[in-house]
Amino acid sequence: MAKLILLCLKCIILCSTVEAVFEDQVGKFDWRQQYVGNVRFSKFDAQVQSSKKVLVATENNVFASLNIRTGELFWRHVDTIGPEGNIDALLQHGQDALLVVGNGRLLRSWEINIGGLNWEIVLDSGSFQSACLIGQQDIVKHVAVLKKTAISLHYLSNGHQKWIENLPESETVDYQAVYSGGNGEVYVLGVVPHSHIAIVVYSLDDGEIIKQISVEAPWLSNIQASCAVIGEGMLTCTDSATVSLYMLDLESQIEMTQIPLQSLGLEVTPGFQPVLTSTQPNAARPPLSEFFLQVGPEQHLLLQLNDGQIVTLRDFNPALLVSFATTGEKTVAAVMSPKNATACSLNLFSAETGRRLLDTTLIFPLDPNGGKPEKLYVQVFLKKDDSVGYRVMVQTEDHTLTFIQQPGRVMWTREEALSDVVTMEMVDLPLTGTQAELEGEFGKKADGLFSMVLKRLSSQLILLQAWISHLWKLFYDARKPRSQVKNEVTIENLSRDEFNLQKMMVMVTASGKLFGIDSKTGTILWRHYLDNIPANAAFKLMVQRTTAHFPHPPQCTLLIKDKDTGLATLHVFNPIFGKKSHVTPPAMPQPILQSLMLPVMDQDYAKVLLLVDDQYKVSAFPSTKNVLQQLQEIASSVFFYLVDSSQGRLSGYRLRTDLSTELIWEVVVPTEVQKIVSVKGKRPNEHVHSQGRVMGDRSVLYKYLNPNLLAVVTESTDTHQERSFMGILLIDGVTGRIIHEAIQRKAKGPVHVVHSENWVVYEYWSTKFRRNEFSVIELYEGMELYNSTVFSSLDRPHAPQVLQQSYIFPSSISTMEATLTEKGITSRHLLIGLPSGGILSLPKMFLDPRRPEKVTEQSREENLIPYAPELLIRSEWFINYNQTVTRVRGIYTAPSGLESTCLVVAYGLDIYQTRVYPSKQFDVLKDDYDYMLISSVLLALFFATMISKRLAEVKLLNRAWR
Amino acid sequence: MLHRDRIPLSWAFLQAALVVAWCFTDMETGPNGAGVSVTQPNGDRFKIEGRAVVPGVKTQDWVSTARIFVEGEEFVGFVRTDGSFAVNDVPSGSYVVEVITPNYRFEPVRVDITSKGKMRARLVNYIKTSEVIRQPYPLQIRANGPQTYFMKRETWGWTDFLMNPMVMMMVLPLLIIVLLPKVVNTNDPEMRKEMEQSMNMLNPNPELPDVSELMTKLFSGGSKPSSKAGTSSKGTRPAVKRR
Repeated sequence: MAKLILLCLKCIILCSTVEAVFEDQVGKFDWRQQYVGNVRFSKFDAQVQSSKKVLVATENNVFASLNIRTGELFWRHVDTIGPEGNIDALLQHGQDALLVVGNGRLLRSWEINIGGLNWEIVLDSGSFQSACLIGQQDIVKHVAVLKKTAISLHYLSNGHQKWIENLPESETVDYQAVYSGGNGEVYVLGVVPHSHIAIVVYSLDDGEIIKQISVEAPWLSNIQASCAVIGEGMLTCTDSATVSLYMLDLESQIEMTQIPLQSLGLEVTPGFQPVLTSTQPNAARPPLSEFFLQVGPEQHLLLQLNDGQIVTLRDFNPALLVSFATTGEKTVAAVMSPKNATACSLNLFSAETGRRLLDTTLIFPLDPNGGKPEKLYVQVFLKKDDSVGYRVMVQTEDHTLTFIQQPGRVMWTREEALSDVVTMEMVDLPLTGTQAELEGEFGKKADGLFSMVLKRLSSQLILLQAWISHLWKLFYDARKPRSQVKNEVTIENLSRDEFNLQKMMVMVTASGKLFGIDSKTGTILWRHYLDNIPANAAFKLMVQRTTAHFPHPPQCTLLIKDKDTGLATLHVFNPIFGKKSHVTPPAMPQPILQSLMLPVMDQDYAKVLLLVDDQYKVSAFPSTKNVLQQLQEIASSVFFYLVDSSQGRLSGYRLRTDLSTELIWEVVVPTEVQKIVSVKGKRPNEHVHSQGRVMGDRSVLYKYLNPNLLAVVTESTDTHQERSFMGILLIDGVTGRIIHEAIQRKAKGPVHVVHSENWVVYEYWSTKFRRNEFSVIELYEGMELYNSTVFSSLDRPHAPQVLQQSYIFPSSISTMEATLTEKGITSRHLLIGLPSGGILSLPKMFLDPRRPEKVTEQSREENLIPYAPELLIRSEWFINYNQTVTRVRGIYTAPSGLESTCLVVAYGLDIYQTRVYPSKQFDVLKDDYDYMLISSVLLALFFATMISKRLAEVKLLNRAWR
Repeated sequence: MLHRDRIPLSWAFLQAALVVAWCFTDMETGPNGAGVSVTQPNGDRFKIEGRAVVPGVKTQDWVSTARIFVEGEEFVGFVRTDGSFAVNDVPSGSYVVEVITPNYRFEPVRVDITSKGKMRARLVNYIKTSEVIRQPYPLQIRANGPQTYFMKRETWGWTDFLMNPMVMMMVLPLLIIVLLPKVVNTNDPEMRKEMEQSMNMLNPNPELPDVSELMTKLFSGGSKPSSKAGTSSKGTRPAVKRR
């Protein structure tokens, strides 16, 4: 019975704290954008003339189908991260797409219309080299997969293996390519570098070796890079040393014939390795005899092999990119050549003759803030009058896909760089001119009563005018149908809304492209590609000046650090327009260890950024006289810490007045036993509203609110499941004093930590019970505060009380963050990104170490939930309903102008933006507020009083007559 | 005194200085290497097989959004067009297998694989981790309905209002007072007789003054002098006289 009551109580509490989305709120203030990553392979669905699909396989191990009309996803399959899910090859045959995955470990066949798996088979181990479709008598039935030591043939229909053969002399010969011309023979081409080419011919039917030849080729080292099969089995290779082509008839010849390019009247740019591009439109037939030869960075030639003679069909100079495309029996060549600084032009040429096809010019606009074009994918189709039409998809260096249709209309662009967001910030939008003028009125010095009154009146007039124009617009829009009313957000009409709910999201991606996105609609307002970003760069984005200092533009600084060398550069820009600032950042010749933003401002209201180099010298940016003077004044109270995880050292430093530093404390975690995994401080913009908690007996338990507290997470180096452990250290960052230490035995990472207010929540994997567990640590000062006015790390004699409790969580997690609001009055929720793509909003109330095991009168008074070991995942708590965020990597929270509302951005492969109301919307009317009911009730009451008044009068009159 | 003044300033700076500082300390969080796969690099690899069913929905409508997760995202499998699935290359161990779709809810299953490759499926129980409630293997996972992400709005309807206990308590007596005299025809003499009889039955002692009657007498008597011709008193008086 007691249990039942408990359960009921729990249910009531659960229901009362549920914060969920209502169905009619879908898409009202949230949006999601889905990405696939940088495209590695792409195939147009050539099966049907009017096909709307393009298949893409990407570097993020994603295989997807895009709608070519809109650029949206039809479907998408996301494999595991890392080499196990790496896509090695994409082949397409009819309705099926074949993928070789995980360095030749798996062979998958997908049905491309519905996006379901046909079959999947495990291949024998061995590193993958090449794969191709094998046809015979115009029918393609098999796929050949070439590994380092073996070749196997599989049926396309069910994946079953037809035969597998070991390659001869595979220790010495490096087999690299497989080719079939549709005549029942499978050619395997291998090379012994700087010696000879080995060619093994297998019979398609039973895998018997028909022929095995070796051809002298001492100049050749890599077949895939420098050779191609052209025409009826003519292996053609280029050699940059002798500037010539080598040709070999695979069927008959046993020696290569050398054709110097000079004899063809061709010249190669010195130092350039010529590249051959051939095309085999149908796997059951030999490749075409036309091919491209690239002889310079911007020069391509269309050549034809005619009776053993090479004929130049056309010389494309300059040409950036070339590509073949086939529809039916027609094959065309698409050539992209530079036009001017802002555009490239595309043309189609007949592959057979090299003649330009009429009316096939397309203009590809080059984004001045983007990268150069990198790859060209062409879809050709026959129009009704049998002429050739085409569409192209251009991939640029900055991972952008642009789809263009004739006549030069950009259908869509996909910014695939956004699939890899590294860090982001949300910046307040600037005030509009009128708003700024109103604000300015209060800042200025008073100059007489009369002028002040005048100014007041004029500003009120401006407001009235704005209001009337707003009303007029509302009225005007209301008459139009809903679909026509479009609030296009552009960079010009950006302005802050009344509750500061709309902000600019500045996103930094791993490829070095920066984006400015409007948080309300998800429109990309600006983009800026930073070239020469090192491959393994670390980024840190800081807002130096917000939009609050009106005549000065807002300013963001991006610190880009090469992880190998430690050298860093600064990119200073305006976060609203994305333009590079005219402020010249300082050159930093020394590797940078640490960067910190001080709340000190220079005379232009830019916060000061301190950079610590490997000599422990500190430099300031901006470093004006004013700043240096201020720094000298406050230097004795600036402390910072450095983490060296390779040596397990955590050290605290203090700034001296001459901007050198002084070591004041050091904590060493022995690296043989455990390693530092992460160090988390508190967020600087976090506010805590209440200093304590009111207990059941009306006394107050004060929180230990140390702004300098660091949570250091360590993991054991021993990963054996019996001996592994994880530890958490709470260290004061100023004094180095260890406030608390906890060890979780039989636990291992990845550990996710959230550190805020007076609590630390962390999640780990319990190896003993094979489950995920949450643990919460809360720190309290006790029943009275030591110094209630100010907190100082140097003057805290009493150690805080530490409370801890742990819970079971029924899922692994990807990332975790806490909600953040303007003043910290609203209760906190934890936002947990799950691998399934859901973002769970878990009230912090469930992670409270004071949850009692036995319910008492006092705990009920305090609204504590009785302890239960398992935390539940309720699907109503998913703030993103079915808009899952795949591979969520980070959650960013920002306060809005409303205390109840917290803005949330989750990013991973997808980007999802929404708002959450942890304590429901207590400061604005809910959007389901029933205006009709309240007004009808008011009206009814009004009329009722009127009528009853009248009746009473009549009655009184009657009575008086009597 | 000087020292005291400095303290508030210092902690404001410290807060900012420390919090900003952690970002640029290169940390290897790398969860990739920490899997089971590392502990048994050369062990045998096995295949987890099964079938997922969403009752009443064609497989082609949901398979493109579905994935099979084995122990989080550590091993991923895809669903075939007929709803069956297989996750390859899984080393021996104990794993939680889940079918992940955004629109349908599936129960997870724990699959144990011995080092010899024997498979066993059982219910997931995170509290009693060693409890075994067998499930069929190859796995048969049925969706138990669509995911309910949305709360229902509290709609305001007349029925809600009327069914409110407070309103019921007020309205029902009102109805009885107003409607009952109209339903029962009081002018019918037989009826009146019956009613009087029943009244007498209820009131066993006719000599004892009835409380309600007393009250009415008291109030009507009190109101008489002030208003000689109240409509209500007019109606009641003949009744009193008759009695």
